[in-house]
Amino acid sequence: MQFKDQIDFIRQHIKKNKLRVFMTVLAATMGTAFLIVLASVGFGIHDTMRSLMLENRLVTQIEVYSDDLGAEEAEEMKGIDHVKAVVMHQGANAMQQASLGKYTTHGNLLVTDFKEEAKVGFALAEGRLPESTYEVVVGNGFAESLIDESAAEKLAEALPEGSEEEPEIPSYKGELIGKTFTYQLGDYGTGELYDDKTELTIVGVAKKPSKDWLVDNKIYADAALIPELEKIYKQDKKEEVTDPLFSSMLYVYADVLENVKSVTSELKDQGYNVYSISEELDQIDVFFLALKAGLVFVGTIAILISSIGIFNTMTMAVTERTREIGVMKAIGAQPKLIQRLFLMESAWIGVVGTVLAIIISYAVSLVSNWLLPIIVGAAIGEEDFAELNVTFSVIPWQLVVIASAISLTVAIVSGWRPARKATRIDVIDALRREL
Amino acid sequence: MLITVQDINHSFLIGRKGKESNVPVLKNISFSVKQGEIVSIVGRSGSGKSTLLHILAGFLKPDSGEIVVKDTVTSVFNEQQSAQFRLENYGFIFQNFQLMPGLTAFENVELPLKLKGMNRHQRKDKVQQLMKHVGLQSVQDHYPNELSGGQQQRVSIARALITDPPIIFADEPTGSLDSETEQEVLELIQTLNDTRDITFVIITHDDEVAQRADRMYRMHDGILTEEGVPNAV
Repeated sequence: MQFKDQIDFIRQHIKKNKLRVFMTVLAATMGTAFLIVLASVGFGIHDTMRSLMLENRLVTQIEVYSDDLGAEEAEEMKGIDHVKAVVMHQGANAMQQASLGKYTTHGNLLVTDFKEEAKVGFALAEGRLPESTYEVVVGNGFAESLIDESAAEKLAEALPEGSEEEPEIPSYKGELIGKTFTYQLGDYGTGELYDDKTELTIVGVAKKPSKDWLVDNKIYADAALIPELEKIYKQDKKEEVTDPLFSSMLYVYADVLENVKSVTSELKDQGYNVYSISEELDQIDVFFLALKAGLVFVGTIAILISSIGIFNTMTMAVTERTREIGVMKAIGAQPKLIQRLFLMESAWIGVVGTVLAIIISYAVSLVSNWLLPIIVGAAIGEEDFAELNVTFSVIPWQLVVIASAISLTVAIVSGWRPARKATRIDVIDALRREL
Repeated sequence: MLITVQDINHSFLIGRKGKESNVPVLKNISFSVKQGEIVSIVGRSGSGKSTLLHILAGFLKPDSGEIVVKDTVTSVFNEQQSAQFRLENYGFIFQNFQLMPGLTAFENVELPLKLKGMNRHQRKDKVQQLMKHVGLQSVQDHYPNELSGGQQQRVSIARALITDPPIIFADEPTGSLDSETEQEVLELIQTLNDTRDITFVIITHDDEVAQRADRMYRMHDGILTEEGVPNAV
């Protein structure tokens, strides 16, 4: 029998029992949609958690801790597969102040490798990179952090007592490029600045960080500045100097998020203490994998319940068509063909049920992602809740594939026994049946 | 010989489980049918004639003995081989027509061709031609419950003929028909036998029907004996 004729045959039978088949398809649809929607909540919450975690970090960054990190180690790390850049940051462990005229800031000097920084997105908004020891680049928030402290104090004093009004802090508004400011180190313990001053010239302003909420008020300098500042530190510090002025921190950047894990484990193997987002993500992924598996399992029970409907429908179909099956066998239909026709019918119920379930699930997911934040926000009195980008339900293609496979397998298995029963129908008994 | 039946024995187990008794229904049946013959097997109800037909058609396996059709031993076939052989070599006419109630007359006749895997266009031409030949053209889109007994039996005959089988088994072909329609059906069988050289094996309880065959066998208590045919058509 040609495949087209087999389809025709099934269509005719389905047409004859529209209501019964419809109810069975409905049960299969509800079971599968329940599985998809239930598991989609797991996927949704997982996605939300991941995006909340990733939103606040540089996701490809791996922090490396060790007692002696230097240029040599950094060079070695550059040789690891999938490492895009290795940036060594050296910060001063002392009080610092930068003064530009009447404006001052407790500047944060950072010695870095501009070449490596450029590879991971460091760029200038204006100016150029330092070319000599006393040239620096400042963050885009540097000007704002330069405050006229005496004017600020006067403003604060002028305010009536108990006023909650915050005065506008007078910060530096002028041009930065080409300006020379005074940089001083100091003692955290006494809170006093050392006498020796270093004049640094701003030659560039860094681009605004990609995250809106980040304020970059750093002073980026070249490594050549370190010996100069260490000299001052040793001279001016009254107590005996034991700790070095600068401490290093290495940041290794993987090329893509997927490779953070492999780079992290390679660094661990080399004996470094590392921290990366992949560590945290791994734990969350394991938890949510278990949760999603649990939800799929619960959903599968719903599909199994709906399979009882398919089993009943197919058993009734076989019983009702016993005489017809007998006639077909008598005129030469192969038992395998009879079995295939019934299996195809139960598979058809499974396919239609699954397709409808997928459509319905996407609709439910869409509506719940739109409606639930509004409802939850209203319920807990947080009007901004809807803007937090909380996703309640996500249906990835993998979930659709898993649910479809479960649904179709269950539909075919449910139809298997009735189909086998059909092949075993005795021709003589079937022909004796009354119409 | 087209069909040769040699020493067929068959019995049924009757009674409750554990207390069954063996009732022989066919005893040493041997006969043969030539190409183009109409052979009738007549007997009372319960004589074993239908069981013999079921064994010939491959619905049942004999306890012993051999059936050779077109030089092929069919009594050793499994279910699949039996079904395939039926599809290619046999046509069936049943007493209560055994038409598919959900299919039109045309679709009922078309069914064996579908099972053979013939394409739609070829099927359409062939079925229309045959329905015209047996006088069913005007009712081809009717469902079985919209047809008279005679028309239903004609549809059943057309279904048996559609694959051009060399042999047609007819089980009480006129059992559900009035005498006028009975004559029409018997004449149609005779015509088909004459024009298409089809071999008919007719099972009947009616001596009158049986005597219209070329040769007639009588079945009595599982034993088959050949009788003369005085009124052969």
